[in-house]
Amino acid sequence: MQSRRRGTRRPRARSPFENRGVIAALVLPGVAVLVFALVVPLGFSIYYSLTDWAGFGDYRRIGIANYREILFEDPVFWRSLWNVLLLMLVTIFIQNPLAFALAAVLSRISERLSRILRTVYFIPAVLSLVIVAKLWVDILNPNVGILNKLLIAVGLDAVAMSWLSDPRTALWAVIWIIVWQGFGWALLFYYAGLMTVPREIEEAARIDGATWLQTYTRVIIPYLAPVISGVIVIDVVSSMKQMELIYLSTAGGPGQLTQFIGVYLYQKAFVAGEYGYGNALSVLFVLVSVGLTLVVQRLLRALPEDAKGPEGTKGLEGPKEP
Amino acid sequence: MMLRGQHPSHHAPGRLGRQLLHAGLVLFAFAQLFPLLWVFLYSIQKSGDLFGPELLKLPAEPQWGNYARAWTDGRILRYGWNSLIVVTASTVVSTALSFCMAYAIARMRWKLKSFALGAITLGMVIPIHTTLLPNFIWFGWFGLVDTRIGLVIPYVAFTLSFNTLIYLGPLQNLPPSLEEAALIDGVSWPRILWSVVLPLATPATVTVSVTTFLTNWNEFIMANTYLATEELRTLPFSIIRFQGQYSSDYAVQFACMVIVALPALVIYLWFSKRIMAGATAGAIKG
Repeated sequence: MQSRRRGTRRPRARSPFENRGVIAALVLPGVAVLVFALVVPLGFSIYYSLTDWAGFGDYRRIGIANYREILFEDPVFWRSLWNVLLLMLVTIFIQNPLAFALAAVLSRISERLSRILRTVYFIPAVLSLVIVAKLWVDILNPNVGILNKLLIAVGLDAVAMSWLSDPRTALWAVIWIIVWQGFGWALLFYYAGLMTVPREIEEAARIDGATWLQTYTRVIIPYLAPVISGVIVIDVVSSMKQMELIYLSTAGGPGQLTQFIGVYLYQKAFVAGEYGYGNALSVLFVLVSVGLTLVVQRLLRALPEDAKGPEGTKGLEGPKEP
Repeated sequence: MMLRGQHPSHHAPGRLGRQLLHAGLVLFAFAQLFPLLWVFLYSIQKSGDLFGPELLKLPAEPQWGNYARAWTDGRILRYGWNSLIVVTASTVVSTALSFCMAYAIARMRWKLKSFALGAITLGMVIPIHTTLLPNFIWFGWFGLVDTRIGLVIPYVAFTLSFNTLIYLGPLQNLPPSLEEAALIDGVSWPRILWSVVLPLATPATVTVSVTTFLTNWNEFIMANTYLATEELRTLPFSIIRFQGQYSSDYAVQFACMVIVALPALVIYLWFSKRIMAGATAGAIKG
């Protein structure tokens, strides 16, 4: 009895790859950083979202009053979500097809030219957001900006305007800046995807007498469905995350028209002095981001999968926010 | 990448079509670069030149003095040095931690592995902006607000997920036999990771460290929120400084933008192949 019990306790011969001490040493430092900089702050956010704290002085715990106000009495919150949605639709349905078409062209020209062009097309994506914002604020500036000068030069004086402060154009101007900055990413992803398409399936399509358009719509695009899904999920995530470009160009104006949720929570907390309210926005921001991402992933996965693409994208592995 | 190479398209358009296509592509590249060219051109002119009616104007005599003023008034050296310290530290730590995490997930056998991987991918969805508010209080408890370490920690945290996923593929593809042999020879784990595994993962290490460096080099909103001390501020502040101070002195502002953009551009052009490979891995690999 005694010896048998000892026997079961004796550690069986473990593979060195199961060494718990080593695993802990490898994983815990990273986990500690994530907990310290991501998880605990989220906990703090939840706590302060239930208060009316202004950022200084005393505060009361007010339950879910902030959330109730945001959801039922705050048109700016809904406006900011709507703008995020609009940005998503523009990136998915306008930026993506253009990027795909350009990537398709780049995959068919000589490698040397293609590489040079890809490098150039990606440049906006590696510029600091501060520079991108300032650049476009100046280009769209009614006095010194080149856009208005260009319009005046071709006789379209009537169209020249203050793009970022005119309520008719501000939102589109902001969306343009974001799309300009993000285009390189979409192009890069699609180009990389197109490089994985085996030559044989194209050849087969040609032998079957498919036109180039049919080759793309019937063979290549279905083959790349996982890549396209992955890029769409990335678009959803990065549309949610937009903040700096708006903050530095319109700061949500004119009159909250170009408000995005990342900017809004920042202004509420640090400008309007509604720290508790800002934290409630923060918590909703996380919930919407994660929720929407999961929903879009689920939807895309539910699409009929008639093609066997490359290794299925799990989708979430997006680019780092540039 | 091997699959396609350069093969003449079977739907090759005619010579004229091809030339038109190339012209269009080059034109698009030019359009993409035009804003930058515009900024550069006016950065070497007098500020008043920008208010003229002409679309573009070549400088009569280049005003390189704008750059000298941008350099001193933009405090490029001070801010650049601060950026370098914060960004280098966060890049080294993030690369090291993500390498370790990816190795543990790729090679080691443990129960919570798939849970950990899920949590890491989820970490990528959470926007950096949601931590801006609570960190003021939480980091404040440790005196980390308005310090360099207070920036390094979130910079590491917000690049860790992506980097771990970048490392994962290459590490999974390495044969375990090398480590097994080393273990039998009694080599210690730290040495195995450092001198056996890490050298084999060099391409991924380059991708991870360069993209982390660029991301954090360009980061603005956290630095803007937490750094109140003038002497600690990072490079993007150079541009912000001019907005109030010389709001109509466009030439100096443009010169400042060129100076700030240049290091990132050089790094990008130098490592563009690795950066693109990394982004690709992010999109296609699991």
